[in-house]
Amino acid sequence: MKKKQVIAVLAAAAFGTTFLGAGSAFADEPFRTLDEIKESGTINIGVFSDKSPFGYVDENGEYQGYDVYLAERLGKDLGVEINYVSTEAASRIEYLQTGKVDIILANFTVTEERAEEVDFALPYMNVALGVVSPDDAVVESLDDLGEDDQVIVISGTTAETYLVKNYPEIRLQKYDAYAEAKTALENGNAAAWANDNTEVIAFAIENEGFTVGIPSLGSADTIAPAVTKGNETLLDWLNEEIVALGEEQFFHADYEATLLDTYGADYEDTLVVEGGAVGAAAETETE
Amino acid sequence: MTNLGLDVLFKGSNFLRLLGGLWVAVRISLVSVAISIALGIPAGILMTSKKKGIRVIFRIYLEIVRIMPQMVLLFIVYFGTTRVFGWDLSAEASAIIVFVFWGCAEMGDLVRGALISIPKIQYESAAALGMDQMTSFRYVILPQTIRRLIPLSINLITRMIKTTSLVMMIGIVEVLKVGQQIIEANRKASPNAAFGVFAVVLLMYFLICWPVSRLAVYLEKRWA
Amino acid sequence: MEKEVILQYLPLYREALLLTLRIGWQGVFLAFLFGLACALIRHRRVPVLRHVVTVYIEFFRNTPLLVQLFFLYFALPKIGIRMTPEVCGSLGLGLLGGAYMAETFRSGLESVAPIQEESALSLGMTPLQAFWHVILPQAFTASVTGIVANVIFLLKETSVFSVISLMDLMFTAKDLIGMYAKTLECLTLLVVFYLIMLLPVSLLGSYLERRLRYAEYGK
Repeated sequence: MKKKQVIAVLAAAAFGTTFLGAGSAFADEPFRTLDEIKESGTINIGVFSDKSPFGYVDENGEYQGYDVYLAERLGKDLGVEINYVSTEAASRIEYLQTGKVDIILANFTVTEERAEEVDFALPYMNVALGVVSPDDAVVESLDDLGEDDQVIVISGTTAETYLVKNYPEIRLQKYDAYAEAKTALENGNAAAWANDNTEVIAFAIENEGFTVGIPSLGSADTIAPAVTKGNETLLDWLNEEIVALGEEQFFHADYEATLLDTYGADYEDTLVVEGGAVGAAAETETE
Repeated sequence: MTNLGLDVLFKGSNFLRLLGGLWVAVRISLVSVAISIALGIPAGILMTSKKKGIRVIFRIYLEIVRIMPQMVLLFIVYFGTTRVFGWDLSAEASAIIVFVFWGCAEMGDLVRGALISIPKIQYESAAALGMDQMTSFRYVILPQTIRRLIPLSINLITRMIKTTSLVMMIGIVEVLKVGQQIIEANRKASPNAAFGVFAVVLLMYFLICWPVSRLAVYLEKRWA
Repeated sequence: MEKEVILQYLPLYREALLLTLRIGWQGVFLAFLFGLACALIRHRRVPVLRHVVTVYIEFFRNTPLLVQLFFLYFALPKIGIRMTPEVCGSLGLGLLGGAYMAETFRSGLESVAPIQEESALSLGMTPLQAFWHVILPQAFTASVTGIVANVIFLLKETSVFSVISLMDLMFTAKDLIGMYAKTLECLTLLVVFYLIMLLPVSLLGSYLERRLRYAEYGK
């Protein structure tokens, strides 16, 4: 009996590994082309559902926010229904690579590493990293952190990758979801929270008792829609669409509809990228 | 009331949304249990097979289910199968597959246990009465087995409902995720919403699972 | 699959395994304590406490650990009760496990015939001696299958620890996938590490079950 069980277990292990290791070759392309999406009548768009004011769900169960405003427009111009897929930061690439969504519009920062895994369209927002902390112990430089101080990051964000790479000695407290990270910061579980500066600024404005001690960290990046690698028809359409939307100052309207309440008018020109044109430097870098 | 964050529940359709989320969880588990029972009975009968090969295969199957957390299986099925086989499974379909994979093993094992617990004399008496194997199985063994099984499978339902809380991790918007969304949308107006919302979600799970598990205990006592 | 990737991730998984084991076993230990205390209270029919224990057991058996953790970690601080993630993890696991262990121990205690205690007392043992030397060993033998099942169940439940920011095996895999998108390597390592963690427990359980069954043969 014992021997049999050992064999059984070894076989189970072998089964597990061969199943997973069977190779990464796809039988088929994992994505849907522009025509396939149009034909089906529905587009799957991955957005955040807990990242106010960029992607969240209001009290009536409707998706709202800066990213969602754009998604709604894309759906309209394509003439298809939108099926929103609620995503977490860490699964964004996975969702695209496995074709679970057609487009990710979840505040997705363009980075070199990610550009190897997915295709980014033209950007629609500027972003850098920022750090927010409680008023009574504002963190103004990452070097101020004590040995026992922990910094909250969200798994799979650029803030995480940046800190892991540049400040390996900082103790990170990682969470899956925005809602968890913010509640943890509110509850005083860590010294600070590092994330996109847009997000930490919004948090400090909306929540009393918190200050953004480090408003800009790391390099200036952009946020863009992303599609599965190789999905050229959809990518081309997105790029044309973003340029066309620029002509009607669409993203300014988006800002005024969704972000103005939070940020006021001061951030409008620093945050919004219109028609995909950030300045040539940033664009060639992402290519 | 306000400082415990219960007020957010009465804003807009928030409470109904939570109930809707709970229904998603319950629906997934009911579908999974139904399929698990349907597949578990033949699986259990096969597990009592005298063929060594069949028994070894089921032994491996049971051991995988016993060792791998459902969370891991969910990830493998949801993300892994698309990568390896190119299947495009929805999150809900993946959840049901994982729950059935698990439920079928448990049901099978229960069926096997119930079958071998039926005294040999039952088979012998049936044979003495001139029943053939099929008839005795159908009229003597199966009814007794099912009686023993029902309380146990009701138990499985509550365990599945509880495990559905994991599916939020693969992007299904169920009660816990709805709860997070409510906390997030009301962070400014109601900073203590986390308390009210999580307390209510906890209570909702209890109010669903507790009566069901009481029923299982009751039936077990009555039919034992 | 890329071999270098696996080698690079190996130390991270090893760390996660140690954390999972540490918190997992702390939780199992607490579960034993809570479970034994509760089982005794119910078995001896201690007034009042017995009802408190019943409520505790029913509540924790009928709610998911994930939601319990959310409540312990995110909701309790709102009324001033704060815990570190590690404490929260072991306590959550311990409270959940205690409710399961209590039921297992109780059925074990119930399986020991009353005459055993009566005989022990009539031989001049004190009630404590009778419990420790006569009842407990038999009750334990009878509940070993249940105990092992509970331990495996609890160690598996650690896979939801990501929500309270503990880098257990599951979260390590998810986190690495999120950062570097090496899904196959990460999931394979994940499966292998769970096997490393739980196979010995599972095998030990089957072994104990067979060994202890012999003890009953004299009956």
